[in-house]
Amino acid sequence: MIEIDDLHKRYGDKTALDGVTFSVKPGEMFGFVGANGAGKTTTMRILMGVLTADSGSVLRDGRPLTFEDRRRFGYMPEERGLYQKMKVTEQIEYFGRLRGMGSGDARRATEGLLTRLSLTERRNDAVDTLSLGNQQRVQLAVALVHEPEVLVLDEPFSGLDPLAVDALADVLAERCRSGVPVLFSSHQLDLVERLCHSVGIISAGRMVASGAVEDLRDREGRGRLRVIVRDATPGWTSGLPGDITENGDEVLLTGVTGDGQEILHLAAKAGRVEHFGWQRPTLTEIFREAVA
Amino acid sequence: MSSLWLVARREIVTRGRTKAFVIGLVVSAVLVAALAFLPRIFAGPDSYTVGVTGSQSLQAALPQTAKDIEITVRQFPDEAAASKAVLAGDVDAALVADRKVLADGEVDRELGLLLENAHQAAQVQRQLADAGLDPAKVAQAMRVAPLEQVSVGTDTRYSGVRIGIASLLVMLLFFLIIYGSMYVAMGVVEEKGSRIVEILLTSIRPWQLLGGKIVGLGVLALVNLVVVIVAGLGAAAATGLAADLPPGMTGIVISTLFWFLLGYGFFAAMAAALGSLVSRQEDVGSVLTPMTMIMMVAYLVAYYAAFEPGGPVARILSLVPPFSSMVMPVRMAGGEVAAWEIALAAVLMLLATVGTLALGSRIYQRAVLRTGARVKLSEVVR
Repeated sequence: MIEIDDLHKRYGDKTALDGVTFSVKPGEMFGFVGANGAGKTTTMRILMGVLTADSGSVLRDGRPLTFEDRRRFGYMPEERGLYQKMKVTEQIEYFGRLRGMGSGDARRATEGLLTRLSLTERRNDAVDTLSLGNQQRVQLAVALVHEPEVLVLDEPFSGLDPLAVDALADVLAERCRSGVPVLFSSHQLDLVERLCHSVGIISAGRMVASGAVEDLRDREGRGRLRVIVRDATPGWTSGLPGDITENGDEVLLTGVTGDGQEILHLAAKAGRVEHFGWQRPTLTEIFREAVA
Repeated sequence: MSSLWLVARREIVTRGRTKAFVIGLVVSAVLVAALAFLPRIFAGPDSYTVGVTGSQSLQAALPQTAKDIEITVRQFPDEAAASKAVLAGDVDAALVADRKVLADGEVDRELGLLLENAHQAAQVQRQLADAGLDPAKVAQAMRVAPLEQVSVGTDTRYSGVRIGIASLLVMLLFFLIIYGSMYVAMGVVEEKGSRIVEILLTSIRPWQLLGGKIVGLGVLALVNLVVVIVAGLGAAAATGLAADLPPGMTGIVISTLFWFLLGYGFFAAMAAALGSLVSRQEDVGSVLTPMTMIMMVAYLVAYYAAFEPGGPVARILSLVPPFSSMVMPVRMAGGEVAAWEIALAAVLMLLATVGTLALGSRIYQRAVLRTGARVKLSEVVR
């Protein structure tokens, strides 16, 4: 388990991180979301040890991360970095070797990734002749080549076409199933909602929400009741609990306590109930609310 | 350590197969080889063909008077035939009946002297024999040991060649060290600017990355240096110039390699440290200015030292690092240098190189992950 514990970081008089805390369990896919400049990249760079926190710690199974731990992590930095003049295959193999793989292992792993990421045809091309999408795939291969024990990816999906997104999502899901904790940041909230078990929302250097996606939606959805009553007796809503927002036949109640059975009863008496249910917000809605 | 070699190998493989490196290698080798041919082009010919009519005695005397010079003698039946051969350029000159020399225009000065000497010797020998002296005794009496040249001042016999070799060394060391260091700085900035360095430094230690880069590019520069030396010495051997080289060429070559390594280590570490302060290739030139200034001073002093190896400026700066890395090998090629001076310069330069490597890698470690605006040196040294 990877634990980020109370990270603080200041650049001059600007606070970048102000007590960031969350954890990623083995086999868990964790989506890290937040506005630009909220502190995602800073957190991930501290996690990878390329930046030092002013205070706080990063733990793995309860003990501080070492250089040797991080060598077995897979990392994709925010700004893409590859040797532009180096060939695709050589490049992926080279980074595998740097992470301590033997030349045979590195070659085999590279072959596997080339097939997996549909790069076989471009294997002998220099990186600067590739399209941005393909460069991105090479970048991923570099992060994945040494069968990492933990994956830390900064915006891995940005700039990818839908097919590449699916290919990457498959690879990540597969690594996840084999017990690897996967942490990635993204602006594509629908994607995070679809792929991730857990999310963390960061705003201005503070974690405003984190946990399992379903729990979060349930928690945020609690007390939000959406009722649609056709041909209702006018004024039936007066006397209902909570804040009321009316839009034609649709009524949105927030701050409802209890199980809402008495509200259903009143609604049924007032007219024909077409919809009655707890309003679970989407991740996007939770995000908007959280960072507002 | 193996990670350091991986990095070094990548540098050697990727940089070594660029057109720039291969072309530079070929051009420098050809240039140096061409320089070895220059003396031959400007010096006079060292072989002559001489026509002779009538005389036999001169033929025996000629090769004795001229040891280094090859003289081919051709017999002609009469003066008319000899003069025709001279006009046609088949022979450089013709000696007719031990009396006169035929030439097309003027007799070559060197050849004229040789012929005169040989003629004198042959005539004296013949006239003494005519006077009734034993020819064998005459021949023995004629055998005179040549004068031995001894210099009571500085031995200046090789000074011209030494100046040539020394000034060639200056250029060679200057260009190889400055190019090697530039490539180190550019490589550092390439990795910093593209953030590859973030992946690299989560895979290997900073000293392995920096060390591998310096070693790899140093190997390439060393290859270039060795190729140039081999090309130069090979061409010298082929043209016969090697005979004119001063004694101790092996020593000069070894000391050049030694001083190159020290100088390169110093400047490469400096280039890496300065390079790590910026994130864009456009800024490499300006951030390296302090280094190029020092190198220019070293170059100028070394160039001066090539012509005046014992001058006060050359003597002092050949002890002061990092100037010594270029000035000392040039002084050593240009003339005699006291052993204690060489030892002192070597120790000081070694210390300076180790110190710069240590300080440079410290600056590099602190600055290389700080992308964005140029990092101030004062922020990372402490």
